[in-house]
Amino acid sequence: MRHFQTIVRMDTTDPPGTPPGGEKPVAEYLKQVLEKEGIPVQLFALEPNRPNVVARLKGNGKKRPLLLLGHTDTVNVDAKKWTYPPFSAERKDGFIYGRGTIDDKDNVTGMLMTMLMLKRQNVPLDRDVIFLAEGGEEGTTRIGIQFMVNQHYDAIDAEYCYAEGGNVTRVNGQVKFASVQTVEKIPRAIKITAKGTAGHGSVPLEDNAVAHLGEAVGAIAAWTPPTRLNETTATYFKRLASVSTPEEAARYRDALSPDPAVAGPAQQYLRKNEPRHWSMLRTSLSPTIIQGGYRSNVIPSEATANIDVRQTPDEDPAKFLELVRQVVNDPQIMVEYANANSANRPPTPAARLDSDAYKALESMTTKHYNAIMLPTMSTGATDMSYLRQKGMQCYGIGPALDVEDGPKGFGAHSDQERIVEAELYRFVRFAYDAVVEVARAR
Amino acid sequence: MRANVTGTGTVTSNSMQILRTVAVVMAAAASLVAQGPAAPHEEEVMRHYQAVLRVDSTDPPGNESGVVAYVKEQLEKEGIATQIFQLEPNRPNLVARLKGSGSRRPLLIMAHTDTVNVDPKKWTFPPFSATRDGGYVYGRGAVDNKQDVAAGLMTMLRLKREKVALDRDVIFLAEAGEEGTTRVGIMYMANQQFGAIDAEYCLAEGGGVTRVGGAVKYASVATTEKIPRAIELTARGPAGHGSIPLQSNALTHLSSAVAAAANWVPPISLNETTAAYFKRLASISTPEEAERYRAVLSPDPTVAGPADAFFRKEAPIYASMLRSSISPTIVQAGYRVNVIPSEVKATLDVRTTPDQDPEQFLEMVRKVINDPSVEVAWAARDTRPNAAPARLDSDVFRTIEANVTKHYSTIVLPTMLTGATDMAYLRAKGMQCYGIGPATDIEDGPKGFWAHSDQERILETEFQRYARFYFDVVRDVAGRK
Repeated sequence: MRHFQTIVRMDTTDPPGTPPGGEKPVAEYLKQVLEKEGIPVQLFALEPNRPNVVARLKGNGKKRPLLLLGHTDTVNVDAKKWTYPPFSAERKDGFIYGRGTIDDKDNVTGMLMTMLMLKRQNVPLDRDVIFLAEGGEEGTTRIGIQFMVNQHYDAIDAEYCYAEGGNVTRVNGQVKFASVQTVEKIPRAIKITAKGTAGHGSVPLEDNAVAHLGEAVGAIAAWTPPTRLNETTATYFKRLASVSTPEEAARYRDALSPDPAVAGPAQQYLRKNEPRHWSMLRTSLSPTIIQGGYRSNVIPSEATANIDVRQTPDEDPAKFLELVRQVVNDPQIMVEYANANSANRPPTPAARLDSDAYKALESMTTKHYNAIMLPTMSTGATDMSYLRQKGMQCYGIGPALDVEDGPKGFGAHSDQERIVEAELYRFVRFAYDAVVEVARAR
Repeated sequence: MRANVTGTGTVTSNSMQILRTVAVVMAAAASLVAQGPAAPHEEEVMRHYQAVLRVDSTDPPGNESGVVAYVKEQLEKEGIATQIFQLEPNRPNLVARLKGSGSRRPLLIMAHTDTVNVDPKKWTFPPFSATRDGGYVYGRGAVDNKQDVAAGLMTMLRLKREKVALDRDVIFLAEAGEEGTTRVGIMYMANQQFGAIDAEYCLAEGGGVTRVGGAVKYASVATTEKIPRAIELTARGPAGHGSIPLQSNALTHLSSAVAAAANWVPPISLNETTAAYFKRLASISTPEEAERYRAVLSPDPTVAGPADAFFRKEAPIYASMLRSSISPTIVQAGYRVNVIPSEVKATLDVRTTPDQDPEQFLEMVRKVINDPSVEVAWAARDTRPNAAPARLDSDVFRTIEANVTKHYSTIVLPTMLTGATDMAYLRAKGMQCYGIGPATDIEDGPKGFWAHSDQERILETEFQRYARFYFDVVRDVAGRK
């Protein structure tokens, strides 16, 4: 808790606010704590204030290393909206509030503690255990995972990796199942641009760019992209059904039905009440930015919106864009990927479900959470995609979260990001045990 | 005459001699229909016009003192007393009064001395050169609104010189800050110095004569105007990660609300002015056009609907004149592509008709948007007071009509302006205000020669015709009956 609160209290928002912080304070804190324990630490920094921390506990070399990955940066905040200041790490009613509490300072803390405990207990290891506390995960991967993978891969090369991307789902405070991320959706962004005639606000124009943009954004958000399942998601929902109430189980099975009359109502329910599940069933779209106009009496000639798009690994980006254009169906609107690279990012292979690292997670899930483990496709992007490209088997883990918190605005990136205090402790124990299981000498 | 323009007392007294003679002749002609060729006035009014065009009085930054100094000097040289009312340094409002017998209440003639600003690089003729070229005079303020400064000044000078007997006081107000700083101009005068400008009637900018293909088609006289307002839409929902679409996404709700408000067609609401406008417009239009102008006057939606739809697409100014209108103008929301924002806002430019109850209108917009996650509220805006339209049966309106016939041989369309003018402040005080203006070519707008453009200009002959028209209207309204 001390380590957790200390690093949550450090503003490592990306992009940095005022004063510009960067990940340096957290990196230096981790370095100091690790070195005090006698664990050697290396810092790798592409930019001075944005160091990546690497610590290694040597094994006997019988097996290839295990990498533990956490990121030290967070998304930024609108401090006015927070009940408890975003960098206060306020403990209240069994929760800890703060930016980064579940993205990703929980993992950083869990992995730091794992390293410290392995060292203190002198656990003999078949594998090196490498801890990478990286910067720039939230949009500046250039100085974080990309820098490490492209220029310092030797320092982190491993057979397996545990990182953010999974979690344990609680419903009404009860653990229902654990998710381990084995594959992920591909983040892209679509930019839509409306063009029209500029004019004086006193004379409404039918080609008003702001109005056309509003219509297009509304249409995109209302659209239901086609369902696209893969092995991971099919397994996920099947297993999920097996641990659900009969009513829920019927819904999960219905949602997978090829018959739209069966799938439709079930998916509508998920869309409203379990939006993450709905997102797992398809490529998804969330309008997030809209901009146009500068003066209340001037109709601007152009207005733009950005749509956050998460494509399933097997989605064809060009065909998908064409579908979106058909949904918008307005000659005044241009629909395109926000940057060319966005359309070219390769899908990554899924991690295996029969590996030691997977089995260790499964047995520790049983031990600590007494729950079934579901392989998942995460809707968000993680830095694991860069490691999977290198052939590393990466598994996303995470603490238990209340399923009800998301719609209530307590989730990651929200204005009241929080974690259940008891679940932070349980996660630390779980992570430690899983690492021991996969890395200890046998 | 040109040699005399350098100006001496002798010239002035000679001119006055002539003018006095003319005045006597004109007074003797009871119907006053003779059009004075009055070459001396043409020279003189052009001199005043060029003089004020050559003073940079752009707003921002806002400094009318140069124009006011010139006008003040000319008036005082003629023996007309002036008063300066100034809320802030360099933002003077000038008032001059010619006394009448008091048998009728005063007539206010109003012009604004400031202009919108310029991008000098874009101008072929420098914006403060008042260059005369090819029959035009070019310069910032040429039609907005230094033609009224010059015509109003000239009218005052002539009334005085010609010793025109007046029933009404004629008050000339050369006001500051019309182009966005009404605080120092009309608001200051109406709220704090109203005693100096109180009148029964007012003439100001806001109308004009439309020429099509070089031929006069009709004259517009502004008798009322829509009221500028703004609605702010605020949508709220949980913030979240873009990878998980939320049905409560505030930005989505806002977008749909903006689209719904823009797609909504508020009910047609005519008043005396707009009904007369379309009826008269029909009388001078092609049969096909006339049918549409008459159709929108029909209470039957199946008759009015198609014509209204045509206007919304092809002639949006007419569609706006038919109703309170909405234009979405600003949306600014969200800060990061992977974050769903929790609160987002949009601004709608709203122009309500003078008789529209604002709260009822807001309630209608709420129903159209019909989304509990979107708050619909009036936004703070430099709005104008609600005021009754000027009457179409007043002496002044009839006099304007008569002089339009005399000088332009055309019909007058009483007009409701979709934009706001300073007349709103005076109408709110009960003054009957009429917006007039010189003839401009309809083709000049798209070519970039109109007000606020980078080649603002006026035809010299039209400027001169307007100055004559202006004088005649003032004399006929205020002169002894």
